[in-house]
Amino acid sequence: MAANSAPSALDKEQIFGMAEKEMEYRVELFNKLTHTCFNKCVENKYKESELNMGENSCIDRCVSKYWHVTNLIGQLLGSGRPPM
Amino acid sequence: MDKSMLGDLDSLPEEDKHRMSAMIDQLQIRDSLRMYNSLVERCFNDCVDSFKHKSLQKQEETCVRRCAEKFLKHSMRVGMRFAELNQGAATQD
Repeated sequence: MAANSAPSALDKEQIFGMAEKEMEYRVELFNKLTHTCFNKCVENKYKESELNMGENSCIDRCVSKYWHVTNLIGQLLGSGRPPM
Repeated sequence: MDKSMLGDLDSLPEEDKHRMSAMIDQLQIRDSLRMYNSLVERCFNDCVDSFKHKSLQKQEETCVRRCAEKFLKHSMRVGMRFAELNQGAATQD
């Protein structure tokens, strides 16, 4: 892609395509994160509809650790992923 | 995912902004439908185990309500934390 000229129609399509893939990736990441941490932190007995303090802490830590793992794997895979 | 990320795209020409906005709308719709299905599957699996009747028993209904509420609250909390981490906010261990 030439730095000085405006992006061609083809370049634009590529950019939109990549942007869409990036957004889909983020949505999937969020969904997997949500399901994973629910499975790890919340018992499936559902004695009540509120989250208790223990569950809240677990969720916060789980999200944080999941985030760290995501970054770590990203590093290990090289710059295959677009920067967050 | 919401349109607040469109703020970053302010410098784009109108038609590009519209296209991005439409893309986000589509992703949101798809995501909502997916969430609906997965929530039903989860709460059914966790709450319904006997098939002596066609209709939901009181205890099963209560369980499903709690399950759905709990998951939605959980999802909101995850969303908050996720957004914080995305912004690079350092939090206590």
